[in-house]
Amino acid sequence: MAKQMKFSVYRYNPDVDKKPYMQDYDIALEDEDQMLLDALIRIKQHDDTLSLRKSCREGVCGSDSMNINGKNGLACITKLSELEQPVVLRPMPGLPVIRDLVVDMTQFFEHYNSVKPYLINDDPLPETERLQSPADRAKLDGMYECILCGACTTSCPSFWWNPDKFVGPAGLMQANRFIMDSRDQATEERLENLEDPYRLYRCHNIMNCVEVCPKKLNPNAAIANIKDLKIERAKENADRKPAKKIFGISVG
Amino acid sequence: MLIQLLTHQYPGMRLWLSQRLTAVVMAIYILLLVVLLLIVQPFGHTTWQQNYAAWIEFVSPVWFRLATLLFSMSLFMHAWLGVADVLKDYVFNKVLRGYMQLAVDIALVLYLFWLVYILWNV
Repeated sequence: MAKQMKFSVYRYNPDVDKKPYMQDYDIALEDEDQMLLDALIRIKQHDDTLSLRKSCREGVCGSDSMNINGKNGLACITKLSELEQPVVLRPMPGLPVIRDLVVDMTQFFEHYNSVKPYLINDDPLPETERLQSPADRAKLDGMYECILCGACTTSCPSFWWNPDKFVGPAGLMQANRFIMDSRDQATEERLENLEDPYRLYRCHNIMNCVEVCPKKLNPNAAIANIKDLKIERAKENADRKPAKKIFGISVG
Repeated sequence: MLIQLLTHQYPGMRLWLSQRLTAVVMAIYILLLVVLLLIVQPFGHTTWQQNYAAWIEFVSPVWFRLATLLFSMSLFMHAWLGVADVLKDYVFNKVLRGYMQLAVDIALVLYLFWLVYILWNV
């Protein structure tokens, strides 16, 4: 039994179009079309000029993140039955559009790379693996699951206003993921790396990132944790310094 | 002491931490003010002259004026940091941002003088 559904999709092909425009589709869906991605593939059968990214189609690769009825999410795990019609689909905001729903994520990954998202450990490689206690391993829960779809970062106004300077929730959560890793030895450098007034501190806790994350993660908590750790580290550094003395009386 | 950490060594944390610390000062003052107002109750007398006298008595002690001054300085600093953040977010022309920041700075300094004048003229 076919079911009709209305869509309004952002279209822009820079080679042809002067300006982006919204194109309406009224599509007959089949019973097996359960998720938004299924509907998009159905649309593509009728209009193969529509461009979008997709890969795993089960919420693991993070390719088909887009703005769905005003909220960022993954098309492949968004149920059609829960969407209001017409379903308005736009590319993720705050990044340059390459074509239709495909955005250029270079800036996003530059920020990701800038937090050095890999284990830094100068000890000689052990014969097997670097061991970790279950408690230490548990500290990475809620962060390692990030699939880097970009939904959080592109829904963050601080990233819209300062895309070149603010690392964004996704990058900062990965910074925290490696700061919290018991096997990592570069905690000091990682915290220092986020010191300027923009990279970390542009976060004003509006929590759009938490609201949209398709994996139900909490980048805001990760950012708050980095801020706390930076204070702790600064306190330790201050304690280590010899006390200042004025007229022989130690102050501070 | 957290105040020790407000150095140029931590340009980002300094701004963020200052805003939190000034917020703590303001919260403590407001809490104490509400409690004091409830205990002393410098209002609700039959004539306005009595109310006025009670109010003057309430605000006159030097420690109260100094506490109010400390609160207001925290408020101005908090506001300065907040406005600087907003300008950093929304005004990308550095010259324009500089002038807007300067206007805010001047207003806040004038407020401070005005406040001192009010506090020591009741």
